[in-house]
Amino acid sequence: MAPPATQFELAQPPNDAISALAFSPDSPSRLLASSWDKNIYLYDKLQNSGGEEGSHGTLLRTFEHRAPVLDVCFGKDGNEAFSAGMDWQVRRIDLDSGEQTTLSKHAAPVRRVVYSKEHSLLISASWDSTLHIHDPSNPSLSPLPVPLPGKPHAIAASPSKLVVAMTSRLVHIYDLSALSNALASPSPSAQPPQPWQQRESSLKFLTRAVAAMPSDAGYATSSIEGRVAVEWFDASAESQARKYAFKCHRTAHPQPDGSGSGATTTTTTDVVYPVNALAFHPVHGSTFASGGGDATVALWDAEAKRRMKVYQKFADSVAALAFSSDGRYLAVGVCPGFETGMEDYSGEGRTKIFVRELGENEALPKGKGK
Amino acid sequence: MGKKKRGHPDVEELLSRAWCYYCERDFEDLKLLISHQKAKHFKCDRCGRRLNTAGGLSVHMNQVHKESLTSVENALPNRQGLDVEIFGMEGIPEDIVQQHNQRIIQNFYQAQAERYAATGNPPPGQGGKGPAKKLKIETPEEIKKRLAEHRARVAAQKTTMNGGSATHTPLEGRPDGQSPAQNASPGAFNSPFPPPGGQYPTFPAQSVPGYSPPPQYPGAYPPPSIPSRPGSNLPAPHGLPPRPGQPGWQGSASTIDELVSGAAQEGDEIDQLIRMAEARIKPPKKPETPTGAEPPAEGGEKKSKKEKDKNVKMIYDDELSPEERMAQMPRYAFVVEAGA
Repeated sequence: MAPPATQFELAQPPNDAISALAFSPDSPSRLLASSWDKNIYLYDKLQNSGGEEGSHGTLLRTFEHRAPVLDVCFGKDGNEAFSAGMDWQVRRIDLDSGEQTTLSKHAAPVRRVVYSKEHSLLISASWDSTLHIHDPSNPSLSPLPVPLPGKPHAIAASPSKLVVAMTSRLVHIYDLSALSNALASPSPSAQPPQPWQQRESSLKFLTRAVAAMPSDAGYATSSIEGRVAVEWFDASAESQARKYAFKCHRTAHPQPDGSGSGATTTTTTDVVYPVNALAFHPVHGSTFASGGGDATVALWDAEAKRRMKVYQKFADSVAALAFSSDGRYLAVGVCPGFETGMEDYSGEGRTKIFVRELGENEALPKGKGK
Repeated sequence: MGKKKRGHPDVEELLSRAWCYYCERDFEDLKLLISHQKAKHFKCDRCGRRLNTAGGLSVHMNQVHKESLTSVENALPNRQGLDVEIFGMEGIPEDIVQQHNQRIIQNFYQAQAERYAATGNPPPGQGGKGPAKKLKIETPEEIKKRLAEHRARVAAQKTTMNGGSATHTPLEGRPDGQSPAQNASPGAFNSPFPPPGGQYPTFPAQSVPGYSPPPQYPGAYPPPSIPSRPGSNLPAPHGLPPRPGQPGWQGSASTIDELVSGAAQEGDEIDQLIRMAEARIKPPKKPETPTGAEPPAEGGEKKSKKEKDKNVKMIYDDELSPEERMAQMPRYAFVVEAGA
C-alpha cells in the first residue's frame, strides 16, 4: 500500500514513540519531532527539493536529552526551540549551534510547552500541577510559577488566551497579557495570576488534547473517549450555546450476523479510540484536524460542524499532528497507541512521520464542489 | 401499487432507487448518482477534474500528476478498494447488492411500523410481507400490556380522581379518552403522559453535530443536507392526512435512514422505557446535568439510533493519561539525580 506521492514518509524517523511535532514559524520545510527515545529530531527539506523521487526530508540533526521528551515547540523563529522533558526540565535549544540551556525546573515531568508569538512568552506545564511562565528573550527573569488545581495534560495558546486542560476535567483559560504583566513586574506579595475563566470540560472523559483557534474565537478539546468538543472563549450565553461536542475516531464492529444494517436485533461493539491530537489550520481558521488511536486523521469545519475529509488509515495510532505555518503541509506522527492495561510499550520500528501536502482547497471550508 | 399515494415511497420504489456503492446513499435517478460519484468519489483532489470511474481517476492521477491512487475518496471503510470498477449502478458485486436491498427492506418496514404507530393509520394493502407482520404482531401486545401498566401506574400516582383506573383494562378504561385510532395502532406510542422523570427531553439541535456517523455505517457520510437531527421530529402530523405530494420528499437528500430515525423518535421513548424496565435498569435521574453539550449529544445520538444495547469498548480508559502510564515504565523512567 504505497501512499500517494502527496503524502510522503520521512526517512529516518525517531526510534521510539513520537510525543509532538512542530513546524517552523518561518519555513514550511522545517519540522521538529520530539520522541520518547530522548531525542528531538530536526528535519528539513521536506519538499522534494529537486532530488530524486522519494528523497523526502533530511534529518538535519538530533538533540539528545536526559530523558524522554514530552513536547517541543518553536520559539520566535526557526532557530529557537523549547522542549519539555521527563527530566523535569524546560530547555531552550538553539537549533543552529545545538546549544541547550535549561530555562526552569519543575518538580515533576514537564508535559507540554507552548510559545506565544504575540506575547513572546513560553509557558510550560508540568505534572507538578504548575505552569511556568518564561520570557525567553529575557533570561534574567526567573520563571513565574502559576499553581494549578490539577495535573495539566494539554495546553494551547491562541493569540490572546492560554487554554490549560487538566485532570478532573478542569479547564482554565488565562489571559496571556495578564500573564505577561505578572511576569514583567514581579512582586513577592502579589497573588499568582488568576485564570480569566474556569470551566469544566464538555467531555466526560480525560482530556487528551487542546487546540486553540488562530482566530482567537475559541478552542477544541478532545478526550480519550473518541470525542471532540468545540467551545468559544466568549462567555455570553449565545456564544456558549454554540458549543458542541461530537463523536469521532470510533469503529463499529457488528456482531457476526451483521450485515452492518443496524437492525434492532444486531448488537454492535463500538470501539472507541482516544483522540490524541488536534491542530487548527493556520490559514483557514475554521478547519481543524484530529488524529486518533484509530490511526486516522480527519479534517473538520468547526463553524459548519462538518467533517471535510478523512484520510487513509495509517498503520498505527496517530500521536501528533502539526500544520505548517502556511497551512500547506500537515505532519502526522504515527506510532503504536498506548492502550489500557499495557504492561509494556515500545514504539520502536513502528514510529513514522508522514507529511501530507494539502491540495489547494483541501482544507478550505465550503466552496469545495459538492 | 398505489404510487406516492401517501408521500411515503413504497418498498419497490425504494429498492429501485439508484444508490452509490461507495457510500450507500440513494438517489432519485441514475444521472444524479453518476454526478454524485464523479463529484464525491472520482474527483481528482489535485486539479478537481471529475472522472467517470475509479480506474479512470487512477490513470489520470498517474499520468497527469504522477501520483498513485490507493483508495476511493469518501467511501465507506470497506468500499474504498479500486478493485471493483463501478459506474453508476454497474459493477456492484452481487453480494453487496443483496446486502443493500436487505437493509432497505429492513429500514422500510421499520419506518413503516413506526409511522403507523405514530399516526395510528391502519396499514394499507401492502402489509403482507413477513417483517412487517412480525413487527406488528409480536411486539405490540407486549408493548400494549406494559403501556397499560405504565398508564395505570402514572394515573394512580397522578390523581385520585380516577382511583379505579388501575383496575381498568387499558383499552376501554382510559381515563383521558384518547382517540380510538390509537387503540388500533400497534404501539400507541404517542402517549400523552410524559415518561416518568422525563428522561428524554427535546435535545438542543446544536448538540448533535451532523457529522457523527451513524453506528451502522462506520465512517459513513451523513446526507449533507441534514445538519443535525432534531430531537423530536414528528414524521407526520397527528390525525391529519399526510400532505399530498410532498414534493421535497423523494427528491431531497433524505435517505431511508432519516426517515427511520425521524419516525423512530416518537416511539423510542416508551420503547426504551420498557426495555429498561425489562433489564431492570433504573432510568437515569437527571439526564440534563449542566455539563454542557455532552449528555444531550449522547442522548440525542441514542435516540436516533435503533440500537439500544450497544457495546462500547474503549481502547484507553484510565484516570491517568497514557503518558503518565508510559512514564512509569522502566524503559522511559527518569531517575532523579541527587540535587536535581
